[in-house]
Amino acid sequence: MTATMTAVLNEGLPAEVRALLDSTDGAAFEQALDSMVRQREQHLFRALGVLARDLHGAVCRLGSDLANEGVPESMTDARNYLAEVLDMSSKAAHRSLDFVDRMRPEAEALSANAVAVLDFSSSETDPAAVLARQAQVFANACAEGLNDMVLVQSWQDLAGQRVKKVVGFIESVESSLLELVRLTGALAGREAPVEVAKVASQDEVDRLLSEFGF
Amino acid sequence: MKILVVDDFSTMRRIVRNLLVELGFSNPLIQEADDGNAALTMLKANAFDMVVTDWNMPNMTGIELLQAIRAEPKLKGLPVLMVTAENNREQIIAAAQAGVNGYIVKPFTAITLKEKLDKIFERLAASGASA
Repeated sequence: MTATMTAVLNEGLPAEVRALLDSTDGAAFEQALDSMVRQREQHLFRALGVLARDLHGAVCRLGSDLANEGVPESMTDARNYLAEVLDMSSKAAHRSLDFVDRMRPEAEALSANAVAVLDFSSSETDPAAVLARQAQVFANACAEGLNDMVLVQSWQDLAGQRVKKVVGFIESVESSLLELVRLTGALAGREAPVEVAKVASQDEVDRLLSEFGF
Repeated sequence: MKILVVDDFSTMRRIVRNLLVELGFSNPLIQEADDGNAALTMLKANAFDMVVTDWNMPNMTGIELLQAIRAEPKLKGLPVLMVTAENNREQIIAAAQAGVNGYIVKPFTAITLKEKLDKIFERLAASGASA
């Protein structure tokens, strides 16, 4: 390769790279190369850090969709909202079960009274007998409906288990993100706080993230 | 018949209790525990005739409770019916291998519960007669 050709090829390169290629000092060459690689790595880690921060923000907002009530300020809020969803659905299910407990004896009593009226009745066309028969049919249909109502409440338990799984997922995403931030911080030459294995509070999350400038 | 209903959701414990009463079991004889640990303590302290348990619970799961029951000489013959949302094959096989007497997937109907209970008692009567 002629000197002219090399000069033409080098023209498109940044000045620091051109200076590096022209250098005849071997040690300086190595050092400059190392520093460039490090610079590039740091760009990558900073980008990863920003990505982790964005993801963390997205997970924080996830709770709002599920709770449908404003935007939670933090991951803890999101978790609390989901806990409230569980609590509310449990209360609703219990109130339905209370209703069943109240109505079941009423249905049984109506049915028993209808039978008593029918026993006393002399004629099938007696208006009291007609009404008693209708009451009996209604009471039996109620008893059956109440049983169905009890079974339907088991969906609360199934929905609750799903919600619990989502809470677990949010927690695992959050600790993975923190691990990523810790790792990128460590690789970028900063000291990583090794004591943080699990996320205890939102303050802890924010403090950790800010330590790495995200 | 003394029955222990084990589930971490109070709604589910109440539903199972309600259904058992509908099927003719005595309400005062039905007791409740909210996880495997609490259940095991109750089973060791008092004689029960049957356990109806969920799978997913904190501290001690239903399958761990089942294994603990089968490992305890005093309790190992106790019938255990699992009522759970876990419907994957491996888990059902694991329950069978651990010695479960019946397995019901939620949501279920009163008819399913009755069928499984009848089957458990039929088998127990048969094994009791042949012994």
